[in-house]
Amino acid sequence: MAEALLTVAGLTVAYADVRAVEGVDLNVSAGEVVALIGANGAGKSSLLKGLMGLEARVQGNITFAGSDLAGLSPLRRARLGIGYVPEGRRVFPGMTAEENLLVASREDSAARTVRTAEMYALFPQLAVRRHAPAWQLSGGEQQMLAVARALMTRPRLLLVDEPTLGLAPATAQSVIRVLRGIAASGAAVLLAEQNARAALATADRAVLMRLGRIEASGTAKAIAGDERLLRSLMGG
Amino acid sequence: MEFLQLAINGIALGAAYALVALGFVLILNATGAVNFAQGDLVAAGGFLAVALAGFLPVPGLLLLPLVVILMAGLGLAVSAAAYWPLRDRPPVAVFISTIALGIVIQNGLNGLFGAEPRAAPPLFSGGHLEFFGLVIARQSLAIMGVAALLIGGVQLLLKHTQLGRRLRATAQDREVAAALGVPVGAMVALTFALAAALAGVAGLLLANQFFITPTHGTDFIVKAYIAVVIGGWGRVGGALAGAMLVALFETVVAAWTDYAVATGLLYAALLTILVFRPQGLFGEAEGRRA
Ligand SMILES: Nc1ncnc2c1ncn2[C@@H]1O[C@H](COP(=O)(O)OP(=O)(O)OP(=O)(O)O)[C@@H](O)[C@H]1O
Ligand SMILES: [Mg+2]
Repeated sequence: MAEALLTVAGLTVAYADVRAVEGVDLNVSAGEVVALIGANGAGKSSLLKGLMGLEARVQGNITFAGSDLAGLSPLRRARLGIGYVPEGRRVFPGMTAEENLLVASREDSAARTVRTAEMYALFPQLAVRRHAPAWQLSGGEQQMLAVARALMTRPRLLLVDEPTLGLAPATAQSVIRVLRGIAASGAAVLLAEQNARAALATADRAVLMRLGRIEASGTAKAIAGDERLLRSLMGG
Repeated sequence: MEFLQLAINGIALGAAYALVALGFVLILNATGAVNFAQGDLVAAGGFLAVALAGFLPVPGLLLLPLVVILMAGLGLAVSAAAYWPLRDRPPVAVFISTIALGIVIQNGLNGLFGAEPRAAPPLFSGGHLEFFGLVIARQSLAIMGVAALLIGGVQLLLKHTQLGRRLRATAQDREVAAALGVPVGAMVALTFALAAALAGVAGLLLANQFFITPTHGTDFIVKAYIAVVIGGWGRVGGALAGAMLVALFETVVAAWTDYAVATGLLYAALLTILVFRPQGLFGEAEGRRA
């Protein structure tokens, strides 16, 4: 098997009074979607933030494309090729949809325009709303925008935090389809979801988290087949 | 006729205040903090123009680019001293450190130039123009022109350039901007540079007509603060309009009554606005902010 793009070993993310992630080992290879499944408070967001460099108290090893990420700022990690779709979308509210896309690009103006057009092809609804301020977009449109914004950076690894939360099923499906397409084009996707069904239907592999630890992992198919495991995990 | 005359003076004064208030709002949005040194940077810009004029006896317009560059440098120093070490602390820490820095600037100016009021050279030349019986100081027209160009230029920068988008993204969600590869530290430093340059230009413009003293900065920060509250905390357009309103009180209303009454009325208006429209007069027009 080829070397994984992302390798995580013994990752711990702590806050003042809790350890949100404890001793997590994980790897993600180019071209695959790995689902990170867990209930409220399992530590999914903390794990993704730790990978992105957004939390201060992180221990363990993170290797991305051969680079050790220890001590690197979010900026440096982004420039190495990690894209981030935060929990709760967090689009830039006072900027238009198009400005949200443009600002994330690190290419020259011509390439930026081309990439923006690619995003509109991926999410035609965004093209319609391109000049609307982002705060006026619907939840689904904001979610599409948050994914497209991260894709503007042409990431080799995309960290996506609960992209289907609160979306109508059809919209959730279209976002998930895009993530699948990103992996098909050779990038790696780490998808945190509470919605186990949706995530498992898309993912190649899955990792189940509970209380900051990995409870089980395997192919998405095997995990989806283990009803009892899933029920115990999501039940509490 | 007299009203028109006063209104023109007021608009010129308001244009200079608008530069100060614009810088104040840009930093407020980028850091969440009030830059209390913004007023002292106006005084610093005024004295810088006075000092440069001593070496270079040229019209103010030619000093203007020098003031912009040197003040931008001073702005970077302000961000390094008063913001960078406290960037992970609550905004109130930055607010307090800028108060301290403002005192340092005041004392520095006092040491270098003394407490006497000084005047900077006019932008083109002194004197007045007459239009249909209106007597207008050339400097007033020049102030309006320069301020309009600078404010327009900043708007263009913010709305239509990649740098401007990055400055705005940093102001709206610094964490996410960083995660997208925006160099947020540099963006905040640049915001300080921009704000200091705007304050410095206001200093150069005002130090001709109204003279400048080292402690003058306190006046300017109070006016900028009032303008920003009136205009809606954090709103660029509102702050510009607020600056005009403050200046019109100082000129038009002061001429009808007197300066003390006009100041009293301005504070009364401010309180009324805070009570009945806490979001500011222009609070809703520009849509929601982060
Ligand atoms: N900023 C923070 N400060 C302190 N504790 C935090 C912080 N963020 C998260 N936690 C705690 O860390 C644990 C993991 O939270 P996290 O948000 O990572 O879980 P999650 O799996 O993303 O949950 P959800 O599905 O609700 O988003 C929880 O106990 C949470 O209360
Ligand atoms: Mg979460």
